[in-house]
Parts: sequence; structure tokens; C-alpha cells
Amino acid sequence: MRHSRTQQLLVTALALLAAAYILAPFAWVAVSSIQPEKELFSVPPHWVPRILTGDNYRFIFTGKFPAGYTETGLLRGRISEKARDALPALMNSTIVALTVAAANLLLGVVAAYSFSRLRFRGAGALYTFVLASRLLPPMALAIPYYLIVARLGLLDRYGALILIHSAVTLPFTVWFLAVYFKRVPPDMEDAALVDGCTRLQVLVRIVAPVAAPALAAAAAFAFMFSYNDFPFALFVTSTIRSQTIPVIVSATAVNPDVSFGVVAVTVVLTMLPPVAFALLFRRYITRGLITVVTTR
Amino acid sequence: MRLSPRSIPMSWKARETRYAYATVLPVVVVVALFTIYPVVYAVSTSLRQVVLYRPDSTPFVGLKNYVDIVRGDFFPTAWAHTLTFTLFAVPLATVLGFGTAHLLRVRSRLAGFLNAAVLLPWAIPTVISGVIWAWIFNSTYGAFNGVLYSLGLISSYIPLLSRPSSALFCVLFAHIWKELPLTSILYVAALQAIPDELYDAARADGAGVLAMLRRITIPLVLPTTLIVVIYESMVAIVTFDLLYVMTGGGPAGATSLISYYIYNRMFTSYNFGQGAALAVILALSLIVFILVYLRVLNSEEVYRE
Repeated sequence: MRHSRTQQLLVTALALLAAAYILAPFAWVAVSSIQPEKELFSVPPHWVPRILTGDNYRFIFTGKFPAGYTETGLLRGRISEKARDALPALMNSTIVALTVAAANLLLGVVAAYSFSRLRFRGAGALYTFVLASRLLPPMALAIPYYLIVARLGLLDRYGALILIHSAVTLPFTVWFLAVYFKRVPPDMEDAALVDGCTRLQVLVRIVAPVAAPALAAAAAFAFMFSYNDFPFALFVTSTIRSQTIPVIVSATAVNPDVSFGVVAVTVVLTMLPPVAFALLFRRYITRGLITVVTTR
Repeated sequence: MRLSPRSIPMSWKARETRYAYATVLPVVVVVALFTIYPVVYAVSTSLRQVVLYRPDSTPFVGLKNYVDIVRGDFFPTAWAHTLTFTLFAVPLATVLGFGTAHLLRVRSRLAGFLNAAVLLPWAIPTVISGVIWAWIFNSTYGAFNGVLYSLGLISSYIPLLSRPSSALFCVLFAHIWKELPLTSILYVAALQAIPDELYDAARADGAGVLAMLRRITIPLVLPTTLIVVIYESMVAIVTFDLLYVMTGGGPAGATSLISYYIYNRMFTSYNFGQGAALAVILALSLIVFILVYLRVLNSEEVYRE
């Protein structure tokens, strides 16, 4: 395509503007995490940091108070103590999200395959029911979810989050993969069935290897949803035994007296896994996102 | 080769059916547990008086909770804020997504970089993006104020998040940031599907950039636009996470959108009956919305192109 010079300049300028809008918040929070608290209080901010420190990180990892704390008073230090829950919370989040992803692969893939290939009474109704369940807004479900979890004796346990996140992600996985399987011609599978393979063997040996990118995308989405979920985790967790990282970061950050340098560290640590994930699986995620919204 | 039904022995068919139920049921059970009971519970609670300080007495009150909610001062304001937010969020997310998609399709190193970067806001938890943007909009030390101040546009910092007139727009800024990845990626896919020949032919006929945009691009991405508009409306209507960390529904309820209002009824006022009634109202409104959505998607008009 032929573009005039001014057009090219305009496109570059707009692209730079978009890049700034997208990346500046990441950069700003990262820069904030490596400055002493006093530096963060300057008006206007130092756009290029004058003093760099690892104190905020050291506080999160070892509990040793950053140097500036004595100046701002003990109270502030005590309040920021909550931020130290970030590491166990990250652990909780990762365990729950990995289990949810695994549950999606285990239960979601076989269900999706059956929905896409097998005819059985009620298949259409069950499929519609599973998909329609996602139409309920989270806030409408909050209290009943709490009660179900309480009755199952799972309050403040991983099990509660794993169940809820699975219930929310499975419909999506089933739908996403059923759509995908339907597009694959069944010839190979039929041949294997004639040769005496069972359905499960066909799924594991023939379908799964071909559909690996779709399975990876489904697992990635389940992981991301679970890792990112806030409202459900807020309602069914109460202590660091099961609180996930969004709960801890929000609890720390909404406190007006908290040190932002320390909050910034928890934010950076929280972002690392999903950002790495997104960059690694970029192609699958992009393709998956398009399928999510456009296929019925 | 497809198997003809006659070549399949009965027992094999029965086995297939058993396998089908065995694989489908676990998912159906998990989903049903977290769908049917909550719905029944929410509807039944909404018809009773359920307040925290009287756990043993939950008399049936019919539609009283609904009437109280609808007559209350905050219900119309919560919906008004929700609609204001949605009316800004949806066009912005759509138009900016459309524009960004064009930038993503340029063949250059910058565009390649932008393609990787654009996913990141989508990838991180919404709560985390709220914390970052709240820090940027901070009244006393925020970078947003800092930029305006350094440019000489303001003489002193403005408490953006604690003014009713600006707080919702700060949330909007963060919301668009979070939604832009999805809308722009969808538009990239839509733009890719348009054959280059159409543009070549139009150019040969002497059509300008604007004419091609109006006559080719916009009509051909219409199905995507409808999907984006409806999906983004649903996301905007149930916004909660950003409000929780950025404004707490304040100042003076200015950012108390409907989901936050429900949360508030339940966990601050502990009026579960009213909270459930609100939740039912929200769910019904969304379902009506989704039915319209499916209607639009199914309508021939969209796919006739």
C-alpha cells in the first residue's frame, strides 16, 4: 500500500500514543516499587527516579522494614504488614488456578467431546443449560455461593474456590472446545472406532494431539479466570489460609495509610505470572479470544 | 467414511450413550450446584424479610423488597450511574478498539511491539489494574495530576477520585484500558477477513480513505461491531472490581453502579432480602439484554453482507 509521508508519521505518532497508554501504568508502578516512600511523595513526581532501593521488595520477602518507615511513624509500618501476606496469597492463587485449569482439562475436554460427537437424549438441553448458566451476574450469586460453600464445610478452603471457579470456567471450556471439535472432520476417529478403539482412547490418542493448541488455550483461560477472580474470592475466603492475591492486594491498597511503595511490590509480583503467561501463549490466547466472543 | 447406523451393534450404541452421560454429568452437576440452588435461593430470599440482626425470623413479605428497592432514592441513581458509565464505556471501547486494530495491522517493528503489549492489560487481574490507576489518579501524589501540573495546565493538584464529577471518569479511564485489548483484537480479526481486492478496486475508482472507510470497512465489520457493543455493554453494566479498589462507590455514591450497590446492600447494610431483590432485577435486566443480543446475532441482516 502507498502511504504519504504525513500519513506514516501520523500512524507512528498514534501507535506511540497507544503504546504509552497501554504501557505507562505498568512502567509507573514498577518504578514506584523501587523508590523509597519519601520519593513517591514529591510534587510533581520525579519522572526519572533519583534514588533507587530494593527496600520495598526486601520488606515483602524478609519483613525487614524499609529505612524511611521510622520517619513516617510506626502506624504506617504496622498497617503495611498486611502486604506481607502477598507471598502466601500468590501461592494460594497459583495452587487454586492450576487445579482449576487441570479440572477444566480433565472434565471439560471429555464433556466437550461428547457434546460435539455423540448423540444422546437431552444433549441439546444439557448443553444449553451449561452455557446459559454463565448469563447470571456474579453479584446475584454472591450470597447463595457463600451459603453453599458454608454447607459443604469449605469456607476459607481451597476447595471452595476450586469448585466455584470450575463451575464458572467449565461452561466456557465446554463451549469453546465443542465448537473446535465440531470443525475437525471425524473420519480418522471413525476409522479408529472401527478398529476397536473406545471413545476415550480415540479422544486421548487422536483428537487431543490435533487439538493441543485449543486445549492449551482453554487451560490458559481457566487459569487466568481463576487467578484474576475477585468477587467470589472476596466472599468465600476470610484468612490467609485461602485468600488469593487479588483479595490481599485490594485489602492492602484500599487502606489510605498504606505505603504505596510496598503496595507497588505486591502489584508487580502479582502481574508477573499472568504477563509471562500472556506473552508465552500470545498466539493461542488471541485466537481463543476471537472464538470466545464471535462463535455461537 | 461414515458408519451407517445398521453396521453398529446395539450394545456398542448403548455403551456410547453410557459413556456420553458419564463424561457430561460431572460438568452438569458442578454447574447445576452453582446455578439452580443460587437462583432458587435468591428468588426466595428476595420475597422475604432477611436482615442480619434477626436471623431466625424471615417472614414472607411478597414483593415488598422489590417495591422498597424501586421506590428508594438510590435505585434510580445507581441505574443512572450505571447507564452513564455504559454509555461512555461502550462507544469508547468500540471506537478505540477499531482504531487500535488498524495500528496493530501496520507492518512495522513498532506495530509488532504493540501487538505483544496490547494483551497485557487484559492479562492482569482487574483489581490490580484498579490499584495502579487509583495510584495514578491519586489526589496528592498521583502521576496524572503530576503530568497536568508539569505541563502548566493546572496550578494545584485536583482530587480527581474524590470529586463526584470526575471520579466516574477516572474509573472509565481504567476500564477502557482493561477492555481495549479484547476489542482491538476482535477488530484485527474482522479487518483481516476483508479481501484486499475490495480496496484495490475502490482505489482504482478513485475512492479516498474516508470513502473506503465508510463504504467498505465499517459495513463489513458490522457483525463484529454488534458483538463488541453488546459484549462491552454487559461487561460495563456489571462493573464491580474497579469500583471496589478505586472509589469504594464514592464519593457520595457517585460511582455506586448497580453491582456495587447490591454489594453495599448486602455487606454494609446487611439487608439480604433487598440485596437479593436487587440481584434478581439485575439478572433479569441482563437476560433481557442477552436475548436481544442473541436476536441481533441471529438476525439475517447482519450476515447478509
